[in-house]
Amino acid sequence: MIAFKLALRNLWKNRRRSLATLIAIALGFAAINLFAGYIHNSYNGLRLGSIYGEGLGHLTIARKGFFEQGSLKPEQFLFSETELARLTQVLGAEAGVQVVSPRLSASGLVSNGKLSTIFIAEGEDPALANRIWRRGMGRPKLDPAQPGAGLVSRVLAERLGVKAGGNLVTLSNTLEGQINALDLDVLRVWDTGTAATNDKSLRLPLSYVQKLLDTRGASRVVVLLDEDADADAARAVLAPRLAAAGFEVDIKTWVELSNYYRQVKRLFDLIFAFLFVIVFVVVLMSIINTLSMSVMERVREIGTLRALGMQRWAVVRIFAAEGSLLGLLGSLGGVVLTLLVKLLITLGHVSYTPPSSSSPVPLSISVLPSMLGVTLLVLCLVATLAACWPARRAAHIEIVDALGHV
Amino acid sequence: MALIELQDVRKTYRLGSTDVPALRGVSLAIGRGEFTALWGPSGSGKSSLLNLIGLVDRPSAGRVRIDGRDTGGLGDAARARLRNRAIGFVFQGFNLIAVLSALENVMLPLIIRGESHSRAHLLASQRLAEVGLADFARHRPDQLSGGQRQRVAIARALVTDPLLVVADEPTANLDARTGQQVIELMQALNRSHGVTFLFSTHDPRLATYMQRVIRLADGALHDAPDGIPLPQGVAA
Repeated sequence: MIAFKLALRNLWKNRRRSLATLIAIALGFAAINLFAGYIHNSYNGLRLGSIYGEGLGHLTIARKGFFEQGSLKPEQFLFSETELARLTQVLGAEAGVQVVSPRLSASGLVSNGKLSTIFIAEGEDPALANRIWRRGMGRPKLDPAQPGAGLVSRVLAERLGVKAGGNLVTLSNTLEGQINALDLDVLRVWDTGTAATNDKSLRLPLSYVQKLLDTRGASRVVVLLDEDADADAARAVLAPRLAAAGFEVDIKTWVELSNYYRQVKRLFDLIFAFLFVIVFVVVLMSIINTLSMSVMERVREIGTLRALGMQRWAVVRIFAAEGSLLGLLGSLGGVVLTLLVKLLITLGHVSYTPPSSSSPVPLSISVLPSMLGVTLLVLCLVATLAACWPARRAAHIEIVDALGHV
Repeated sequence: MALIELQDVRKTYRLGSTDVPALRGVSLAIGRGEFTALWGPSGSGKSSLLNLIGLVDRPSAGRVRIDGRDTGGLGDAARARLRNRAIGFVFQGFNLIAVLSALENVMLPLIIRGESHSRAHLLASQRLAEVGLADFARHRPDQLSGGQRQRVAIARALVTDPLLVVADEPTANLDARTGQQVIELMQALNRSHGVTFLFSTHDPRLATYMQRVIRLADGALHDAPDGIPLPQGVAA
């Protein structure tokens, strides 16, 4: 108790110096938590965008080997109509499974009659696909009543000079290798969000793609779970169920299939780690500096305490208490600062344009209680440990030298 | 049995490559309840000897016994415990903790010892009252005069009921009148509590209050100085 009393009073005695250290800790704390709150929201937005916007669902199930060789020999990895029905039955019986949607990809040429260009198409059941859909996220809906109508990506539509209501022709090889062509009504034009796919993507009804490739099967099955479901945990449950039902399959989560999410997450995680290290070093150096000055100024006091019978470890405890109090008070200041900035951002309706977006979005920052708690604990620990170095030095000053110190 | 026994104690400081002897084989004994001064000019070895007796320093050679116990083999923690239990300190510069009140300063040795707060508060209050500072318990050191600070330091030195109080030039930073009052207070406490007081001083006037004056010169015990009345025996 005496350690904390001495620590608190000495911090107050040197309040200008203490305040500078507290501000440094509070700013670091707020920087960590505001950025963590921002990337948490960004990750959540990207997660929802991948699952619902891109239509990846939570899990994608394909025949074993499809993800490695499926594009070379698609015919070898198809689920038959019977298998699809059985898969839907097995998966549909699992708790938490919302939608089981078969998918079939195709590629070939698309033409307006005068000009032809390549396309890649994703075929999905319109009714099921529309259940994996959220307003304002990614692609528009397909129309179950129009099996011959699909979505055309924006740049591709511009190249071919078509708009919604227009007509195109798709040309592809069937799985048997025959040339096949089908008329396509342009239901809507949509922006895929990435330049790499915006000039070649089609989203088509599954039946249309099956007809184009002359098959009744599908290459993959997309599974949508409850919104916040853990895809890895669900995979661990579903894999043995499917194996027991006689399916040899590979299951990938939406994270494994969304390169964009992984890239953004890697980048943000790196920035966060960098920020954390900077804050760590700033807090460490601030505490060491503050307490080193404190030790220098209090050499006689340390000598007196030692002469009165205080043990070395108790001297260390006094300065460690000072460090931990700085960490605690600075972190509490950081909590206040975090909430204040969050409030200002909310009231100020701050918006920004993310790199992958063409329109501004509101800057949204979550305050994460768990992150606040972890940061508080880590910074208090760092502050306490940082104090130990000058404290150890203080404890090892010879009493005679300390008492004679001016 | 004497409270303090020194046998051929030597202390040498190393300054760069030079050895500087501060004590050159001092042997003496101080009994319980004595009111004794170490007298000598600056550099005579008074403070060095006091530091060794107060267990804040170790001799280069020789033995220091406190209450019959040889302190030579004691480790750092044991010496700290012995200082806390058996020795009180009064410093020339008072050495009060600036951020603590007078009462808290007096409580400090008891808190270090591990006494409960309430008991430490009670004992410290009694000691403060004994030195006439009951009304100044909440004052911080910078709100007290020099004499009052030294009285707080005396209360702090006595609060653990030590066997010995070591006072290094306790009146050096006080004016003559206040210094005299402080010495008289310590003398009264010596008589009432039977605690052994050992001073270092170079002020011949203070020697008149002492039962015994031990004269040091050039790190060795010496004959009594001229002109100082010595009520009882002076060690040589």
